[in-house]
Order: sequence, then C-alpha cells, then structure tokens
Amino acid sequence: MTAHRIEVLAHQDDGRAKSLEKIISGLGKSARVRIVDVYTSENEMASSDAFISSLTNPVTEKSGDLPKDFDWALEIGYLPGVTDNVGHTTSELLELIGANDDTACFSSKLFLIAGDLNKDDVEKIATEIHNKLIQRASIKSKAEFISENGMDVIVPHVTLSNTGGAVADKLELTDLDDVALMELSQKGIMGRGPLGLPLVYMKAIQEQYQGKTITDIELETLAQTWSEHCKHTIFASPIDEVADGLYKGYIKRATKEIRAARGEDDFCVSVFSDNAGGIIFDENWLITDKVETHNSPSALDPFGGAITGIVGVNRDCVGFGQGAKPIINRYGFCLADPRTSPEYYRDSKCTNPILPPATIMKGVVEGVEAGGNQSGIPTPQGFVNFDDRFVGKPLVFVGTIGLIPRQINGKPGHIKKANPGDKIVVAGGRVGRDGIHGATFSSVALDEGSPATAVQIGDPITQKKMSDAIIKEIRDLGLYSAITDNGAGGLASSVGEMAEQSGGFHLELEKVPLKYPGMAPWEIWISESQERMTMAVPPENVEEIIALFAKRGVEATDIGTYTDSGQAQISYNGEMIMDMEMDFLHDGNPETPLATTFTRGGEAEPTDIAPADHGETLLEMMGRLNIASKEFITTQYDHNVQGTACMGPLQGKGRIYAESSVTKPVFSSPKGVVLSQGLFPRYSDIDTYHMAAAGVDLAVRNAVAAGCPIDHLALLDNFCWCSSDEPERLGQLKRAVEAIYKLSVKYQAPFISGKDSMFNDFKGFDTNGNAVKISAPPTLLASSIGVIPDVERAIDLAPKAVGDIVFLLGETKDELGASEYYDHLGRTGNNVPETDGHQNLRLYKLYSRASRDRLIASAYALNHGGLAAALAKKAIAGGFGLDISLDKLGLASTQALYSESTGRILVTISPQNKEKFMKNFKGFENIHEIGYVSHPKTLNINNALNIEIEKLEEAYKAPLKNY
Amino acid sequence: MAKVLVLAGYGLNCEEETLHAFEYVGISGKIIHINDLIASPTELDSAQILAIPGGFSYGDDTGAGNAYAQKIKLALQDSLKKFMERDTLTIGICNGCQILANLGLVPAFDSAYGDRKVAVTYNSSARYQCRWIDLKVQSNSPWLQGLENMHIPVAHGEGRFMMDDDTAALLDKNGQIAATYVKPDGTPANEEFPFNPNGSARDIAAITDQSGKVLAIMPHPERGMFTWQRDDYMQIKDVAARTGSKVEEPADGLKIFQNAARYFNGALKKSA
Repeated sequence: MTAHRIEVLAHQDDGRAKSLEKIISGLGKSARVRIVDVYTSENEMASSDAFISSLTNPVTEKSGDLPKDFDWALEIGYLPGVTDNVGHTTSELLELIGANDDTACFSSKLFLIAGDLNKDDVEKIATEIHNKLIQRASIKSKAEFISENGMDVIVPHVTLSNTGGAVADKLELTDLDDVALMELSQKGIMGRGPLGLPLVYMKAIQEQYQGKTITDIELETLAQTWSEHCKHTIFASPIDEVADGLYKGYIKRATKEIRAARGEDDFCVSVFSDNAGGIIFDENWLITDKVETHNSPSALDPFGGAITGIVGVNRDCVGFGQGAKPIINRYGFCLADPRTSPEYYRDSKCTNPILPPATIMKGVVEGVEAGGNQSGIPTPQGFVNFDDRFVGKPLVFVGTIGLIPRQINGKPGHIKKANPGDKIVVAGGRVGRDGIHGATFSSVALDEGSPATAVQIGDPITQKKMSDAIIKEIRDLGLYSAITDNGAGGLASSVGEMAEQSGGFHLELEKVPLKYPGMAPWEIWISESQERMTMAVPPENVEEIIALFAKRGVEATDIGTYTDSGQAQISYNGEMIMDMEMDFLHDGNPETPLATTFTRGGEAEPTDIAPADHGETLLEMMGRLNIASKEFITTQYDHNVQGTACMGPLQGKGRIYAESSVTKPVFSSPKGVVLSQGLFPRYSDIDTYHMAAAGVDLAVRNAVAAGCPIDHLALLDNFCWCSSDEPERLGQLKRAVEAIYKLSVKYQAPFISGKDSMFNDFKGFDTNGNAVKISAPPTLLASSIGVIPDVERAIDLAPKAVGDIVFLLGETKDELGASEYYDHLGRTGNNVPETDGHQNLRLYKLYSRASRDRLIASAYALNHGGLAAALAKKAIAGGFGLDISLDKLGLASTQALYSESTGRILVTISPQNKEKFMKNFKGFENIHEIGYVSHPKTLNINNALNIEIEKLEEAYKAPLKNY
Repeated sequence: MAKVLVLAGYGLNCEEETLHAFEYVGISGKIIHINDLIASPTELDSAQILAIPGGFSYGDDTGAGNAYAQKIKLALQDSLKKFMERDTLTIGICNGCQILANLGLVPAFDSAYGDRKVAVTYNSSARYQCRWIDLKVQSNSPWLQGLENMHIPVAHGEGRFMMDDDTAALLDKNGQIAATYVKPDGTPANEEFPFNPNGSARDIAAITDQSGKVLAIMPHPERGMFTWQRDDYMQIKDVAARTGSKVEEPADGLKIFQNAARYFNGALKKSA
C-alpha cells in the first residue's frame, strides 16, 4: 500500500509556534518556528481533496507546498502502538467522507525552525519536546530536506509475531528451587516482564500446581490478582499484635464504629466495597468519591501517566453502583523543585537519565488538564507539595467525585450484582499492548528494568462517548445487572472481581476486539488498555445494549459468561487455556505476617532560630514553593464546566490559591459539596504518627473553615509509602494508621474509600555510576468531602471589609518541628505539631454553629508556614491591610508566626457580629482577638514587621509564574 | 412556547447546563445526540432554537470544532439551511462557537451560509485559559438586546478569532462584532492578557451572522447566569448579609437566554 502524507501549515503567528520559540530561547538560542500538522495514512481516500480540505482551515492554514525559509526540520510522531488521539479523530474524518475500509490515520507534528542552530541544538530542542519512550523524533537540515524531497513517510504499524505457535505456553514449576522461583517472579515468564510476586506466593503457586503444568495466562492472572497493587497485602496482613491487619483492624474499624455510634444519623451508604465510597447528599442523591495514585507511570511519561490516571479514576466513578456521573475532579502532585535539575540515571552506565523535575511538573499538569478538560469535568480542587525526595518518583494523586440517584428503577442506585448466566460485555476502547504489567510493576520500585509497556496515554473522548452512553442513557434503562471499570489488571481484574459475585466465569478471549493482530492470549487478558467498562448483562438484553452503544459510536462486545461453576475459565478459539479454582485465585495467597520497629526521627530542638529581619524572612517564606501560588495550574484547568462552581480554587481579589472548594451539583438544590485535603510529608522526618494526624486534621479543618458542618464530613486515605518491606518503614506505617484511626473516630468523620502505593522508591545511579536509592517521604494524603446545607453559608479566605475584627481560633504552641520555617533554615528540629483531637473537635463544633449562623466573614485554616503565611495570604486576598498584635499568644514572635500547631483557624468578622460571635464561643478559652482589617495596604505585626501587601503578593506569585 | 434543541455527542459537554438555562427562562426543549438528529433531521422543523453547547468535540483534534462541523456539514447541511430560512435563532457557545465558524454559519455575509471566513484558533499563549472576563456588548442581535456589559467566564484553548482585514472591516461595518473583551473599568483590552485571554483580533469575543439571529460566542453565559456562579459571589453575599438585603439569583449570562424567550413571545420581533 502507498502511504499518503498530508502536511498542513499553520499561520505565521500560531500560539504553539510561539511557545516552542519560548522553549528555544530558554535554551539560550533564538529561532522562528512554523508549525505543520502532519497526517499519514495508507487509505486511498487519504489523497482525496475532500479529505485534505477537511483538515485545512482556509483562513489560517495551507496544505501542499511548504515554505523553504527554514534551517532545520524537526518532526515528532508516535512510536508504533502508542495511543494517537489526533490520528484516531482523523481516521473518523476519513470514515465521514466515505472511506470504506478502516485503514488507520497517524498524526505527527513538523516544526520548521529558522535560526542560527547546529544539529546539537536541534537535538536539544527535540529532547525538550518529546519523550523517547512513546515518541520518535526525526531531524533534517534544509539541504537534506530538499535533496530527500521533505521528511520521510513513516507509518507506525504494530507488527507482532504471536500469530500461530502455542496459544498459551505451559510451565512446569515442580522442580524449581527458591532461586529459580524468584528469578521467574522478577524477570517474568521467558523474560516478559516482572510478575512481582514474593517467594511465599511463588511457593504457594508451586504447591498448587505440584505435578501439573501451569499456563502462562494462569500464572500472569495470579500475579495480577495477588499483586500488592490489587490485593493490598501490606494493609491486609497481620502486623505485630494486630491480627486483622491495618486495614480491617484500624481504617475499616474506624468507619464501622462511627456508623454504629451515629445510628440514625449515619450518612455512609457504600464504603470500601465498590470502586468509590458513597455518602448521602440529600433525599434524592448520593455523592461518591475516590482518590487514586498514578506514580510509577508518571515518572516515566508524566503526561501519559497523569492523563491515564485522571480518566482512570473517572471510570471508578462511572463504575460505582449502577454508575455515577463524574461531577468534580481532584488532583495533587508531590514533586521536586522544578527550578533544579539533579542528575540521576536508571542504569549504571549513566545512559538513561531520569526526567528533570520541570519536565515532570509540566507533564503531570498537562495530563490532568487534557483528561479533565476534555471530559467536561470541573477540576477545582487540588494541591502541589514540593520536596526534593520526590525527584525519582513523583506522587500523582487524581480523584473524582460522582453524583448518582439513590433510587434507579425502584432499586438502590449503589447496589449491583453479576448473576450466573449474565453475559460478559465490554464496551469502549480496543485492547492493545498498552500497560501490560502495569499492576505488577507499580508494586515494585522503579529501576532500570521498569517496562516501557507500562506507559499508556488515555483517550478522553473515546471514554467520554462511552461514559455519556452509560450515565446519560443506558444506566436508567436497567439493561445490565452490574458494571465495573477496567483499570490495573485489565480484564483479569474487572472480570475476575465481578465473577466473585456470580461464582465463576467463562471468557472466550478470541472475541475481545483488538487494536492490532498478533497479541498473545495472556497479553489480551492482562492488558490495561484504557477507556473500557465491563458489564454483566442478562442474555436477553445483550443485543439491545450493544446496539445502543453503537448508536453513540461506542463498540461493545459479548466476550463470555458469568457462571457459578466455581472456576475461572478462559478459552481461546475453543481451547481451554485457563481453568482455575476461584477460591485459589482470590484467597490462595498465603498470609504473610509482618513485624515492625519504630525509631523517632528529628534532632535536638534548635535555639538560634529568630530571624534578623522578620519582614525579609516573611517575603522569603511566601516564595517557598509549598506556600507560593500555583495559579498557573488553576487557570489551565476548567473549573466551572457543568455550571456548578460556587467557591473556586482562586479566592479574593488577590487570587489566592485556596485549599478548599464548594460546588453546587444539583441546580434545584441549595446544597453544596465541600472538598479539601491535607498532607504534611515532611513531618514524617520526626514522627509519622503526627504526620498522619496533621493531614487528617487539616483535611477536616479546611472543610469546616469553608462552612461544612463537622457532622456531615467524610474522609479518604491515600498512603504513599516507601520501602514497605523494611520493618522500620512498616513501623512508621503502623503508627500513621493508628493516628488516623483515633482522629477519625474522635471527629466522627468516617473513611469511605482509600488506596495505597507502598514502594515509592527510586533505585538508580548518580553521575559516577554509584548506586543510589531515593525514597519519597512516607506520605498520607487525607482528602475530605462534606455537604453544606446551603452554599450561601460558604466561607472563603478573603477579608471583606475594613474595620472587621481578626480572631485566631485554637492554640498556638511551640511546634516548629519539620515546619516550613525550619526547612527554610535547613533544620528539622524535634517539636513536630501534635494534634489534640479533643480540643480541636470542641472548636469545630462551635465553629460549625457560627458558620451556620453566618457570623464569619472570612476564614483560613492555618497550615504550611503557620500564622505568618496565613496573615499574608489573607491580606493579599482581600487587598486590605491587617493590623495585628501577637502579644496575647504568649510566645516569642518566631514561634507565634511560624509554628504549625494544628487545629487553628484565622477568621475575620464584622463588628456588628462580634457580640453573637463571642457568645457562640463562650467557654472556649483558645479564642484570641489579634487585630483588625485596616486601610493602609500593609501587613503590620507589632514589634515584628510592616510590609506593603504588593511586596507580599509579588513574593507569593513570582516563583511559579512562568510555568 | 419556543422549543430548543441542544446538541450533544462526541465530546460536547455543556449540554445539560445549557438546556437548564433555556428551561429556567421558560423555553422547553431537549438534548439531542448528533447521531439521533442525523437519523431524524425533521426534528429541526419543530424547533425554534438550535444551541450548540461548549465542550471538546473530537478532543479539538484537527482544530477545535472542525471534525464536528464536518460531520454536520456532510449529514445535515440541507436541513440546517431549511432551519435557518425559518424565523429561528441559533447560538454556539465556546466549542459551539468554533463549530459555527467552521460551518460558515457566521459571519455569512449576504447570507452566504457555509462560507468559512473566520477562524477560531489556538490562544496566543498556547495555553488553555479558564478565567472570568469582562465583555462590552454592541449588537442588534435578538440574543443581546439591552445588554451593554457582561461578567462571565471563558474556558478554552482555542478562542482566538482570526480573519483577513477585509473580513474584519466588513464585520465591523455590519455591526457583526457582537462582543469584545474589555478591562474591568470598561476600556478596551487592546489584546492585553489576561483581559483579552486569547489574543483575539480586535478583542473579539463573539460575532453574529448579518441578521443577528446566529450568535457565536466564546465565553460561557450559562456559567455566569446565576450570582452563586460568579467569581465574586463571596463578596456579593457578604455585602448582602451586612445590609440585610437578598442575593438576587439571576446574573449577566441569563439575559441572553431571557432575550431568546422574549423574542418568541413577540416582544423583540420589531427590533430583529
């Protein structure tokens, strides 16, 4: 077949060209860039005028001959098999204009660069704008370009050699010794990639298959199902004296106890049992929430990792109960300083460098942007935390809130069950090699051997078509009895888990639609190709449901049957290639008791900590990345689509990057969803107990400060740990879990969903080829979701009027340990903030009453940077001055300003409300009137500092302004 | 009573809030998937208003609104022509605006519907922008009667109007430049970021066809139709609380939909 190449030249002043010119000048060169969108296809219609003109905007674009006023031509395209969304759309355009076969189109981008550059410069530019794992770059000088008649025509076909030969390879485990078993686990079957199973699991499998052969697909299935990623063995295993393990023994138990104690007032509906947690919103609706991590893929391909993460957690929402509508996205990034470029390599020969922090930040920010924006889901809620130990393995958190009717067709919306006889129907994207071993790989540390096939790129539009068809049409027709998403583990997980409800399944693997021929059965079975949902459909509905999907441009296929045989069965063209007991598949992994140790970190509390000049120091603190503005992210994220945004991510005239948001998801209801989160990774340097407690407290306190009643608030836990095979790390984990159990029960704020990622370690080499291991600090992300009865009660952080009174609620203690301030001094200290749940709860209850009665004009929950950062942010937000005295706090200025004691809220109130306000807090001792909102546009703190707000705003906004 | 069809499918995503805006002002209607409309184009005959809402049809691939416009052009051109010939109103918001431009339903000088004269392309920042902006409205379009300024949000990666000078001059002369970006004090943005969020020529935020019945607008009136949606809502309700007054629910964006309702109640016939 001849390949047709269509080149569409964009106008001179194209924004994309300008941004590449900016990147080039960042490299110290100057050049002019023209952008050419390239489409390649072997379809004969691809050469038709109709097709070419459908790709060319006559006002701004030209197709045909390219200008010759350039020095270098640089083309970036995708490698074979990598998701090419533009190519996909172009293929659909071909169909529209009447192409009768489905020969694919592929997209690439050609940059015509004019400037005084040599080949090295152009190669540098290429490295800046493409990722070798997923893309190809071709460079030609003008001379080469002309003599070779332009760029080469490249059609990135996938050609696999698995056609013919054995359908499934058979293995004999019986005679393997421990070494051989572990080698099999690490290198995989015939070196296909890690199974990632510990020896005890390998031995259990060996025993089960004593004297029998096991097929590759059976072994891969066990590796998926038993992976840390899917089984969460560390949280499930007995640990020290806790026989039930951390999950049942603490987290689930907290929720159980809270629900029992609340009785009638229990607002939990579906917790820990589904793809997301569900709580009551009002008499008609439930809201769901789920927060995922996508760390390992994001280290290799930040854009692909993040977009795959966000569209993946969207599917967790669509896969809740009968199917919930995604209404809000969350994000959170833990990154190294993007202004640094530490050199580490994945190999000892220093040929395979890690990505620079700035590249990772840009990539993960854009990934969530593309995924969230294209899916029409607002993304108002998020955070970024910086610590250089996130350099090798960034943490990428993505979450989705859903809305679902409490009753659908007279049945509870959150209930589903796959019945024996139901057909297995999969809808959405086709299956390719994408993300093979993603689940097993994310359960091990990143090193040289990390498989590139773990990298995927989400396709939001394919998923949007599928999720609209389900949520907006098919769900309410009651055509399926259960639904779940395909994420880690692909069909192996989704079918495997749903089959637990029916008691078995028989899958006919040859029926699964593929992106390209030649995949081996085990690959099809565990592929993590995205944008797929799996349903259990009564046989009589199969035809109708497939037709309905087709009407929406979505492919749906009947690929097998749920049974009650007790067996997990897979056949391929009639030959049985997997036949395993369901019991062994799901419960065959032996218990692995864990033992822990714990040593408190930190150092002697330093004394010489008072700054020479409080004013200068505050300016420096405001520019620290954990305090500074991240507005550049917010404005790229569509945060008001669906028309439900009420209190946004930027607050006040000064556009402060806020900690919480309020969304009004149902037009006919005044109620709002309040979201926030809290995390303090650095506190783990002293004690993970207080790290975790501080995170949970801040998540709760942020939401309460924003007006969410303390009694309608739920929590999600995401543990991102490191080296979780070391007793000391497990000891840190145990303490963290103990802490959140106690605080959750104290606050009566139940956990409704959680996830863990236990091996956030980078194992690589420094510039001298010496082995290094960089572990992310043990991190708990606590996310909060609550319901405010009327959005008119919402409270933002911006002071509203001159003359308003400033109160600090809660006690400030000498707690600078592991604080932003100490880190600024290069110290750790010892006095890490300790959370007093009892005192805090008293405050939150009284505060909830005050916010109900509309007594509070503005509020901010103190966090990183303590009172000083909070006062500065309030001053910037409101554009008013603040006149403050610290005398009543009974601490030296440095402690008073920068201590990070938890449980504190800084509020302003109108003088006309003062009497009611004082009455409301009668008997609560930790309420301090510390000043008022003033006319002069300065922050004045008696005996400490007096700074213009302009200066504070500049310091706060400058650091990340140009990203 | 007037009836509206709000298009959906292939990545459009603002259909629900857009339909809600119409229903709030008493216009009945429904969301219709483009494939269903192609299957039964006569649906258009019973409608007075066609709304193409915001979204990310086909992921903006090959140019925002291009692929969706191609789909409409190939399958619905005649039915659409019939619809425009009747006394009807059409609005395209954000992605819908881009689709109308690619269909050539705006500016359609001398009713040359189908002529692509205006491009709505990549923001000059090459960055998606979601922020509140201020608009100056100058138009006789039935959609915009009685409107002078609007405070509503934009949310797009490709909102930059581009056209040749003749087209620009003609748009100006015909009064088809319906809304332009201004600074909060009402003075022209002069292509200055962020007041003009995308580098749009002449600060253009919205244009109409020559009759004014077809409105192509990049900002989102349906996201600024209620006071509680506004970026300064916290300030507004605080002032109300202090003065013991009530927060009115309607905000700037709603007026566009109210105008559509009034148009079909006859109130605006003369001016159109």
